[in-house]
Amino acid sequence: MLESRVNRLALWFLAPTAVVLLLVVAYPFIYNVGMSFTNWNMYHFRDPSFNGLANYFKLFQEPEFKNIFLRTFLWTGVNLVFHVTLGLGAALLLNQRLPGRPLYRALLILPWAMPQYISALTWRGMFNLEYGAVNLLLAKFGIDAVPWLSGEWTAFAAATLTNIWLGFPFIMVVALGGLQSIPVELYEAARIDGAGPIRRFFSITLPMLRPVLTPAIVLGTIWTFNNLNVIWLVTKQGEPADKSHILVTFVYKAAFTYYRYGYAAAFSVFIFLTLFGIVKIYQRSQAEEAF
Amino acid sequence: MSNRNHILCFLAAFCVVGCALIVGCGRVDRSNQVVIWEQMDPRERDLLEKHIAEFRVAHPEFDHIRISRTNYNTEDLRTQFQTAAMAMGGPNLVYGPSDQVGPFVIMDLILPLDELLRPEELARFDPSGLPTLEGHVWGVPDQVGNHLTLVANLAHVDTIPDDAEVWFEQLKRLTVDNDGDGRPDVYGVVFDRVEPFFLVPWLGGYGGWVMDDEANPTLDTEAMAGALSFLKRLKDEGLMPRECDYQLADTLFKEGRAAYIVNGPWSWDGYRAGGVDIALAPLPMIPSTGLWPSPMTAAKCYSVNRYTNPASMDATLALLRWLVSPAVQADLARELAVLPGDLAVRADPTLVADPLLAASRRQIDKGRLMPIVAEMRAIWDAMRPAYQSCLSGDLTPEEAARNMQERALRLIADMRE
Repeated sequence: MLESRVNRLALWFLAPTAVVLLLVVAYPFIYNVGMSFTNWNMYHFRDPSFNGLANYFKLFQEPEFKNIFLRTFLWTGVNLVFHVTLGLGAALLLNQRLPGRPLYRALLILPWAMPQYISALTWRGMFNLEYGAVNLLLAKFGIDAVPWLSGEWTAFAAATLTNIWLGFPFIMVVALGGLQSIPVELYEAARIDGAGPIRRFFSITLPMLRPVLTPAIVLGTIWTFNNLNVIWLVTKQGEPADKSHILVTFVYKAAFTYYRYGYAAAFSVFIFLTLFGIVKIYQRSQAEEAF
Repeated sequence: MSNRNHILCFLAAFCVVGCALIVGCGRVDRSNQVVIWEQMDPRERDLLEKHIAEFRVAHPEFDHIRISRTNYNTEDLRTQFQTAAMAMGGPNLVYGPSDQVGPFVIMDLILPLDELLRPEELARFDPSGLPTLEGHVWGVPDQVGNHLTLVANLAHVDTIPDDAEVWFEQLKRLTVDNDGDGRPDVYGVVFDRVEPFFLVPWLGGYGGWVMDDEANPTLDTEAMAGALSFLKRLKDEGLMPRECDYQLADTLFKEGRAAYIVNGPWSWDGYRAGGVDIALAPLPMIPSTGLWPSPMTAAKCYSVNRYTNPASMDATLALLRWLVSPAVQADLARELAVLPGDLAVRADPTLVADPLLAASRRQIDKGRLMPIVAEMRAIWDAMRPAYQSCLSGDLTPEEAARNMQERALRLIADMRE
C-alpha cells in the first residue's frame, strides 16, 4: 500500500518533466516526420504540399548516399573504439597511486573541458600542409608532409584524430567513477586466489564497470554518429569535394545551404531509425551477455 | 502523504514548469525594441555602436526603444535569419552582403523597401548597389564594393605591374627561400584557394562568367579552363603556398611573409593598423585576352524583416535611414576605406583624393555585380570542390570546368524540385 503511494507520488513528480519532454522533444520530432512527407523547400516555403514518400525515394537515389552511410559507420566505429580504449586505459592509470595524479587528471580532462568549436578550429590549423604542427612534427622524424585537408581519406583521418582527442575524456571520467566504486576486497580476494592483473581486469574490473560503461557507450555512439561540429569545422563543410561528409553534415548542408527542408527532414528520420536500431541491437546484446 | 498533499505537490511542480515554458516559449514582446543582426568585422561593429549612440542623441523621441545588435558570420546570419523568420520572429533589420537577398525574397522573409522609403530617398544610392528583384528594392547599402583587389606589401614590392605575365615574372623574383629548407620564407602572392570567390576575377579576365541571364550556369567554358590554368601555374611554380585558406593567407601577409595578397575592403584597415605599408591596384590584365580580371562586386545592405513588430516599425525605419545617411557613409568611407553607396558622398573631394579609395574604385570599375539570385549558392558549391581538386592536381582545368557545370546543373535542379 505504502509502496503504491510512493510510486504514485513519483509519477506525479515526473509528470511535469514528461510534459516538457513532450513539448521540446516529441513535438519537434513529429513535426519533422510530417515535414519529411512534403516538398518544403525555398520555393515552397509558404505553401509546402504533401508529396508522399518522394523524399525517401530521393534519399536512396542520392549518388553519394552509400558512401556517406558507410563513412558514418566507420567514423562512429573508429571513434568509439579509441574513445573506450584510451578512456579506459587512462582511467586505469589514474586509478593507481601515482605522483601528481590530480595534475594528470586535469590535463586529461582538458580536451573535454575546451569548447568543441575552438578545439576543432585549432586542430584544423594544426593540419595545414606547410605550417601545421602535425606535419612539422612528422618532419622531425623525416616523414614527408601529409596533405591532410586535401585528400578524401586524409581529411577524414584528420577529423577522426580530432574527435578521438575530444572524446576519450568522457569515457575516462565515467570509467574512473566506476573504478572507484569497485570494492578493494574483491581484488584482494582475487589476488589471494592467485589471479593475475589480466584475469582481475577481465573478471572483476570489466564486469563491475559494465553498468556505467554501457550507458556511456550508448551515449558516445549517439553523440559520435550525430557529431556535426568536428566534421563540419575540421574539413570545412565536408571538403575536399564533399567527400568527407557523414550523414548529419550532409543533412545540414541540404537543409541550410540548399533549403531542401523536406528532403533533409526525410534524411533525419532515416538517421533516427538507424541510430534507434543500433542502440536496440547493442542493448539486446548487453542484456544477453548479462544473463 | 495524503492525496491532497500529492495533488498540491503536483500542482506546485506543474506551475513551476508551466511558468518556465510560458517564459521560454512565449513570443517575446518586440514592440519596444529594434534588433539588428549583422555580418560585420570588429572595426565595422565598433562604428555601428558609435552610429547607434549618435542616433540615440539625435532622436530622443525613440528613447523608449531598446536597440541591440547581434553579430553572425555570413553563413550563420543567413541560416539563423531564415530559421527565425520561419517562426515569424528574428530581428528588425538584417545586414549583410546583397547576395543573401535572393533567397530571402523567394522565401518572402523581407519587405520591399520601395514601399517603405520615398523614391527620392532611394535615388541617392548607386543603382548597382540596390538589390533589385521582381521589380522591388530589397535592401539599402551603406557601402558598395566587397570586391577583391591586389594588395601589395610595399616592403617587398616597388612597382605593381598591370600585365599578368609581367606580374608572374615579378612573383618569381619575390618568392624567396632564405634558409634553403624548401619552403619559401616569402611567397610572391597569397590568397584563399579554398573559396571560388577568389577564382571569379580571373574567370572574367579570360572572358567568362558564372551564369547567364536566366541563372543557368556557364562554367564549362574555355574561359574557366584558362582561369584555372593560370592559378594552377602560380601554385605549380611555388609562388603561393601549396595549401592556403583565408586565415593562412591573411596571417602570412600580416607577418610580411607574402609580397601580395588578393583580398577585399574588409581587410585593408587591418593591414594598415598592423603596420603593413600597403598599396592597392587592380588585378593585372591577362595579355592573351586583353581583358582585366573582374571581381564580383556587391553592396552590403540593410533589409527589413517581414515580421518586424508594427509598433516598432517607425523606430526601425528611422534607424535604417540613420545608418545609411550621408554622414554615416562618409564616416565609414573615411575609417574603413570603403566606397559609399550614396552617390553624393562618393563625390566628396576628400574621399575622391584618398589614394586607397581611388585605387579601390579603379578595381570596382573593372568588376561585375554579383548575381543576387538564389542559384548562386549552387554555383558556389559546384565550383568549390572542382576548383580545389584542380589546384591540388587531381583534375585538369578542363575536367574541373566540366565537373563544375555538371554539379551546378544537378544542384540547381535539386533546389528547384
